[in-house]
Amino acid sequence: MNNSRLKLNLGPQHPSTHGVLRLVLDLNGEKITACEPDVGYLHRGMEKMAEKLSYIQYLPLVDRIDYLAGFFYSELFCRSIENALEIELSNRIKAIRVMLLELNRIASHLLWIGAFLMDLGAVSPFFYAFRERELILQYFEKISGQRMMNNYFVFGGLRHDIFDLDDVEEILRILPEKIIDYENIITENPIFIQRTAQKGILEASDAINYGITGVNLRTSGFNFDLRKTDKLYDGYEFDTVVLENKDSWGRYKARVLEIKESIKIVAQAVANIKTNTIYEATKIKPVNLTIPEGEYCSEIEAPRGLASCFIISDGNKAPYRLKWRTGSYYAVNLLRKLLVGTYINDAIAIAGSLDIILPEVDK
Amino acid sequence: MLKNIKYTFLSLFTVFKHLFIKSVTLEYPEKKSNLPENFRGKAVVDGCVKCYTCLKVCPANAIIFKDEQIEIDMKKCIFCGNCAYYCPKKAIRMSHEYELATDNKHDLKLLYDVSNEVKENV
Repeated sequence: MNNSRLKLNLGPQHPSTHGVLRLVLDLNGEKITACEPDVGYLHRGMEKMAEKLSYIQYLPLVDRIDYLAGFFYSELFCRSIENALEIELSNRIKAIRVMLLELNRIASHLLWIGAFLMDLGAVSPFFYAFRERELILQYFEKISGQRMMNNYFVFGGLRHDIFDLDDVEEILRILPEKIIDYENIITENPIFIQRTAQKGILEASDAINYGITGVNLRTSGFNFDLRKTDKLYDGYEFDTVVLENKDSWGRYKARVLEIKESIKIVAQAVANIKTNTIYEATKIKPVNLTIPEGEYCSEIEAPRGLASCFIISDGNKAPYRLKWRTGSYYAVNLLRKLLVGTYINDAIAIAGSLDIILPEVDK
Repeated sequence: MLKNIKYTFLSLFTVFKHLFIKSVTLEYPEKKSNLPENFRGKAVVDGCVKCYTCLKVCPANAIIFKDEQIEIDMKKCIFCGNCAYYCPKKAIRMSHEYELATDNKHDLKLLYDVSNEVKENV
């Protein structure tokens, strides 16, 4: 039956691929027999740019690697430099960083919930999720001056101290109520369950082979959360969300549960900020900054999986080579396996559930 | 089956509830949001001493020094605020002006005079 075979371009103009991902699908009837992701529509040369710019010039650009979780990449880059210069952060700065990182994780997951449901055709949750995300972004704007490209962390500290925590307490008060709303609309909704349950099943062994980390791996029943061993998160009590569902529905559920855990961490961080009142940042001369010759690596649990920054320095003003490891890059590769054998109708429900964000992939 | 009906109605009820909630959107050109104090908008220069720190920290090469004048190209500017943050004299300031759209691209090249004070080593 040769006439039932078809090569189909999914994206880059398809609204559910968010403008920058192209999937070349081989179809047999409605079944996908092969999938070839085509990336690079958002390539900006982030790694090459680092070799041309000084460290302080490059710092504002790292937010743009993943514009939904800019703080994580700022933190990573700052941490690499701090490792190189052997800077120890004060407790207040650590607590502020944890608070901002977790708020950013909540904002990122909220956007994912909205966009994923929008992909499936549910419009209301998109607006509800964006409404709560807006509260967080407005707080970011208040402290850093911009909503997404914050550029607020600097080597050895922050741009300036935080004075106002009322907004965070307001967010912590509002969010749990709103999450009940999301769960009422989405979690047990029969249409949502039919679209996502038992779709895109990812076994833990496959996930590990493909280098998948973060929520996607934890939904496959593998307990791996870098925050548990991260020095920045020392003394914070939270549970790692590990589910055995392995399907798209599980990946949704895990993110909702993870938002709840992040709320716990933010509450603890706010308490920490209040007890550590002394703000002392390490004084370094950022202009013409050089770091000693050597290799420096840092890693963090970003919303889309393990992210790391690897710098090879030759002692000059710019790194000799800089390498980013981002979670989404591996998730895109996984589509080759995950989509094969499924129906074309489920392709978006599966691809969307992996939380792929393309600036991270293309860099 | 009964469960499905229950949760379908729960979803619909939750969405229906939102009809009676106050609107959260802003009718933009008529109403404008309150900007926070350290909002990063158009750059303004006053009291520059030509130390060239801003040149060294700008990631987009948006700043050029011409004789006795500093030119900031807002087309290249990415509003990171590095120049304002690292300026030792706090001469560059990110103002609250963000509506920079124009039909003449030369309007986006901002020229400011540089004071004639003796250049200081910073």
